[in-house]
Amino acid sequence: MRIKKRHQAGAAKNFITRTQAVKKLQLSLADFRRICIFKGIYPRAPRSAKKANKGSTAPTTFYYTKDIQYLLHEPVIQKFREHKIFARKLSRALGRGEVSDAKKLDDNRPRYTLDRIIKERYPTFLDAIRDLDDALSMLFLFAAMPATDRVSAKVTADAERLCNQWMAYVARERALRKVFVSIKGVYYEAEIKGQEVVWLVPFKFPQNIPADIDFRIMLTFLEFYVTLLQFVLFKLYIDAGLVYPPKIDSAKEQGVGGLSAYILESKREKELLVARGSTTTESSKAITESDMAARAKTISDAITTTQHDEDEAVYDDTDAAEEAKLDEFIAIPSTEANISDILPQPDEISAEDALKNLMAPFTIYVGREVPLDILEFTILSLGGRVVSEAALDLYAEDDDEGVVAERKIEIDDLVKGVTHQICDRPALSTRVPGRIYVQPQWVFDSLNKGRLMPVDEYAVGATLPPHLSPWGDVGGYDPENYEEDDEDEGDEESVDGEMDVDNDDDDEEVEEDVAVPVTVDDDDSGDEEEDEALAHQRELESEAKGISFSSSATSSSTNKKRKRSEPVKQSAAEKQAREEKELRKIMMSNKQKKLYNQMQYGINKKEQRKEVLKSKRRKIEKVKPLSNLNEADKKKSGKGKKNNKGKK
Amino acid sequence: MAKRKIPQKGQLSASRSVPNPLGNTSAPAAVRSPSPDSTDDVDVDNESSIENLFDEEAEEASDEEDEEDQGEDNFFNDDNDEDDEDDDEEDENSFFGIVDGGISDSGNESEVENVADITEIGSDDENIIEEFDGESDSEKEEESAEVIKNDEIDDDSDDEFLSKSESIADAESQTSVSDNDDGRIVHYTKGADGKPRPIYREIDPHYSSDDSDADDYNVIGNIPLSAYDEYPHIGYDINGKRIMRPAAGSALDTLLDSIDVPEGWTGLVDRESGGELKLTKEELELVKKIQLGQNAGEVNPYEDTVEWFTSKTEVMPLSSAPEPKRRFVPSKHEAKRVMKIVRAIREGRIVPNKPKARPEDDFKSYDIWADDLPEQAPHVMHIPAPKQAPPTNEESYNPPEEYLPTDEERKEWEETDPMDRERNFLPQKFSSLRAVKGYENFVRERFERSLDLYLAPRVRRNKLNIDPDSLLPKLPSPQDLRPFPIKCSVTYTGHKGRVRAISVDPSGLWLATGADDGTVRVWEVLSGREIWSVSLDASEPVQSLEWNPVKDCGLLAVAVGERIYICQPPLFDDATEATGQDMLAAGWGYAAQPTATEDENKEPLCKWIRPTSKIANVGVDVAIVCRKTVKQVTWHRRGDYFVGVSPEGANMAVLVHQLSKHSSQSPFRKSKGIIQRAQFHPFKPMLYVESQRYIRIYDLSTQTLSKILQPGARWLSSFDIHPQGDNVITGSYDKRLTWHDMDLSAKPYRTLRYHQRAVRDVRFHQRLPLFCSASDDGHINVFHGTVYDDLLKNPLLVPLKVLKGHAVVQSLGVLKVEWHPKEAWLFSAGADSTAKLWT
Repeated sequence: MRIKKRHQAGAAKNFITRTQAVKKLQLSLADFRRICIFKGIYPRAPRSAKKANKGSTAPTTFYYTKDIQYLLHEPVIQKFREHKIFARKLSRALGRGEVSDAKKLDDNRPRYTLDRIIKERYPTFLDAIRDLDDALSMLFLFAAMPATDRVSAKVTADAERLCNQWMAYVARERALRKVFVSIKGVYYEAEIKGQEVVWLVPFKFPQNIPADIDFRIMLTFLEFYVTLLQFVLFKLYIDAGLVYPPKIDSAKEQGVGGLSAYILESKREKELLVARGSTTTESSKAITESDMAARAKTISDAITTTQHDEDEAVYDDTDAAEEAKLDEFIAIPSTEANISDILPQPDEISAEDALKNLMAPFTIYVGREVPLDILEFTILSLGGRVVSEAALDLYAEDDDEGVVAERKIEIDDLVKGVTHQICDRPALSTRVPGRIYVQPQWVFDSLNKGRLMPVDEYAVGATLPPHLSPWGDVGGYDPENYEEDDEDEGDEESVDGEMDVDNDDDDEEVEEDVAVPVTVDDDDSGDEEEDEALAHQRELESEAKGISFSSSATSSSTNKKRKRSEPVKQSAAEKQAREEKELRKIMMSNKQKKLYNQMQYGINKKEQRKEVLKSKRRKIEKVKPLSNLNEADKKKSGKGKKNNKGKK
Repeated sequence: MAKRKIPQKGQLSASRSVPNPLGNTSAPAAVRSPSPDSTDDVDVDNESSIENLFDEEAEEASDEEDEEDQGEDNFFNDDNDEDDEDDDEEDENSFFGIVDGGISDSGNESEVENVADITEIGSDDENIIEEFDGESDSEKEEESAEVIKNDEIDDDSDDEFLSKSESIADAESQTSVSDNDDGRIVHYTKGADGKPRPIYREIDPHYSSDDSDADDYNVIGNIPLSAYDEYPHIGYDINGKRIMRPAAGSALDTLLDSIDVPEGWTGLVDRESGGELKLTKEELELVKKIQLGQNAGEVNPYEDTVEWFTSKTEVMPLSSAPEPKRRFVPSKHEAKRVMKIVRAIREGRIVPNKPKARPEDDFKSYDIWADDLPEQAPHVMHIPAPKQAPPTNEESYNPPEEYLPTDEERKEWEETDPMDRERNFLPQKFSSLRAVKGYENFVRERFERSLDLYLAPRVRRNKLNIDPDSLLPKLPSPQDLRPFPIKCSVTYTGHKGRVRAISVDPSGLWLATGADDGTVRVWEVLSGREIWSVSLDASEPVQSLEWNPVKDCGLLAVAVGERIYICQPPLFDDATEATGQDMLAAGWGYAAQPTATEDENKEPLCKWIRPTSKIANVGVDVAIVCRKTVKQVTWHRRGDYFVGVSPEGANMAVLVHQLSKHSSQSPFRKSKGIIQRAQFHPFKPMLYVESQRYIRIYDLSTQTLSKILQPGARWLSSFDIHPQGDNVITGSYDKRLTWHDMDLSAKPYRTLRYHQRAVRDVRFHQRLPLFCSASDDGHINVFHGTVYDDLLKNPLLVPLKVLKGHAVVQSLGVLKVEWHPKEAWLFSAGADSTAKLWT
């Protein structure tokens, strides 16, 4: 047998340090970084860093050797090398003042494409969609960034274009599932081809760009993401039967801009238009249903026109769905012996469809103080139509007075159909009758809840209910249902005097059912003798069934007690259970004990956090009634004032 | 024609040959005639060669003359008479052709004429060869003569040739004699081919014809020489005499020949090496050359000249072919291609000087996922980047108020290092959307995410997603294992110090306790009433006490300081008292008469004395004075023997006392460390002795050490033996309880650690499958411990209950526990100067 040498197999061979990798690839560190970003190659943490580093314990970055080996023949690396030479030539030409040579060189500079890499990294389309989160967040950030000396204008323009195309697609497909306005920005979640895509859009403020940020890294990522998104959008548009790239309404682009400037044409429609003849302009073609002026229409409802046929179809579907009432699947009441999963119940109308058409009947007027980009996108994806005050203002402006007058009429017609107005002001001086005035959060909460929220809570000037994350809380604390927990706990405290883990009532009831499967004691007035006899009988039966004496005994005894005072009994049983658990812990092995304690640590931490939140809430609740009263007083007085004003 | 020719030629030659001998050199033919074959005379030969040289031109001239002479008769005339050269060649041909055709006899002149008609024309090639021959001088001719000789020897088959040769010889002789030419041919006869054949005259072998030089001429003819191998001769000469074989080498010579001379052998000795001097072929050659005075180097002095730089300049090119046409006419193919481009430009397909489009400008999207690949499981080693956690309520612009940080939380967050913060933001509340500020760390967070994506080492961690309760061992419920003590029912109070010792009498009615205050008290178990009490020693604590296991004797052994007292509390009926007194009294007799074996000089191990009357009145009957403090007393099951343990006693730490004889003996000769406890086996003659680390088991019948248990604890405190004798539990000061299966190993079967402080005492129930441990943390843990008869089945240990009630005083909790002999009741003695009954 050959003597095995050390560090010739296993981790030492599977992992390679970064320095070794860079040497092997003969690249500069910057180029290595770029190729790693493009190819999605990342360092690994080997199980034993010492083994991987051939006995040294110095802190090192390890890569998987095969990853690096695959890189050896990467064409893009070759392009990097060519580019290095090109840069040298160019600088020489420039240094010598050979302008024409430099220009020629620059025209023929080595260029690389990332298509193949994208296909390699995402063999299927779903893979690509799954990895869109970071790409979108990065693109939206760059779309919101100003062009600086470090970020070229082209880059930001590209990012903005792609972001708008993405939003136009999501809005048209009504794929938006969640919105969450956080202090960092707005989180959206869309469901694309069954995959959940979450991205974060910053608020439209100038971004604070720290000096110590290396934009080269960000731009390398961006380069990859731009390419990726181009391919993804292309595929999405094609799959949806749309034309890619979508047309851009240049007038609107220069006006309000954003989403509304993108005209999505389905392929079918385009063919029709071609058949009709190309005399009419694109924008006027897009509007078919009303006799309003074409341009005003385009301004008002951004992309609604292309959605109209579809809307009707969807309505039909829902009707059909309503007609065909679905049977309910009732799970057989489970006993302890045969616990079955709760069957998923089909909804009468699928929640998704309901969500897609949540605001379909509404035309919503968005005030100029409200960030249009967020609301336009959200409302459109809920099927509503948007009339933007800012856009109308821009439209109404004109030098020619006649035109202005004409347009005013148009706008008036347009505004007639408005059902809701989104308003973000402390108070409103004038209100148009027939309109419902709400704050923007109404739209978000309605979307997250999947139903229209009561409007009065979101009225102008009202204190808004808290905006909760559709993804919930970290530790399982539910701020809406804290009170129920609270009550339970209060009872327990009164009995036991110590803080306990709260237990759901439902569980307890189930247990009861299970524990006494044979005879259910209906007769409350039975005397004790009878009870004893019954208990004995139960014991015998349970023994025959193989249920341990203890469980049946406790259950029977607890049953008795429950009649008297349920909480007391419950806590006693609980206490006993806890004690038993403690006792069982004695018999655990050391390893298990450690693991168990680790788990308990996490659980306890969560519980603790919950407790802290609850106690805070309780405190707030104690103060609240007073403040509520005060607020109510204020409101009343405010109303009174308004009334007075109105009277005046 | 041939007919006519032959005589002519013959005539001609004859006419020519005639004047030759006369020295007439005017005729060229005459010159030729004597030339080669008159081998006999060297002088003649030389002359003829010189003559030959002289007559080269003359010969030609003579040929011409011949032609003229012959005129139309010339055999070759029919072709071209005027072409002299040709004719001349022909002539030569005819001349040399003889050599060619009649292989052997080239030189004979007379023969030339004769055979000329037979061989008409030689081929050209032959001519050339012959030309060379012709030019060569007489030496060659001589050679050819020799060849002829050989031929004569070799082929005798051809008669004609043979005869010819004879005729040659004849001719020579004739020529040499010269007078009679015509006399040679006698007459012609008609040959087989119809041609005239000359019949020659018989040769007369007279003196002049004799060839004296060839007298020992071997005449064996065509017979190979090998036929004569076995004879001393090799043939016969013309005279029939044997030609003897030339002298061959002697036998020595043949031997020498047969020995292989090594290559390069010189027979010389190398002066330098002392070995043989060997010379290679080349070296020999060199030596030879040096000897001859020749150029020793390998230089060919006659090499051909090579004109490296030619002196001649060529006037004309290598080829004089005229320039081809295609070099002047424009190419049609090229014109075609050009026209193609021109057409493309005209049609606008090619736009010249078009500004080059930048590839990034016209980025073409296409469907790269067109080939719908089935989704494959990702590679094992691929770890996808973890997604960012979705935002929670805390991040909301309008969160519920409880999420807002208090001032302390805010301060704490600000003080912690950004790396260690749980969240990278503080929850904030804005009253409305318009009030929301921009988030200042947006770019940084994105950047950090990018860094994480490409720089953070990724590792796949398997998250254990199990219910923590599933880790708990499955055990039968304690409810099913009842009865066991659950609660404290009686507390025995009265002692003034820590209660260290406790014991229940075999009937289970009386409880005896001993405390640090030096008193022993006996209680009624159920009522908790103190029945009897005695103060044995005010300064020394009662270390241990135990009832005699014999049922009806009521004896209690108490260890206080260095003494062991045996007392009989006055609780029992007369019969009992009597038996007890009998047992005690029996010993006094033995104590009075010292045994013969006992060494007089040696101080006895213990003294059995009667106690002072003060305590004797109360019921203390015997006192045993030991040398060191006795920490424990324990009875043998028969009630006669008991063991006192005094840890400081070194080799006399364990003393076995016999009640019936009032004798004490020390079973061990050597100290085995600090002895903590000792106990008899429940039914075997065995003694278990607990030292600090080990439990040694001695067989008393054979007086040997049978086993050592190694609990693995640092300092054992107590142990107990299972009533069936196969299992032992130990408690240790390092908080452990171990269960030993004696059949299994010396190491514990289970080691349990659940007490917060040192374990003070462990105890088995004598009847029920129960055991317990008492600890300094004030808790008593009660266990169920079933031992199965089946050896393959491990004992079942189930923790049943933690009894809490004893207060911890000066970090001492429960010091001693004792089970009730029948019921599942537990007695405990605590440092809080109480004893308790748990039922």
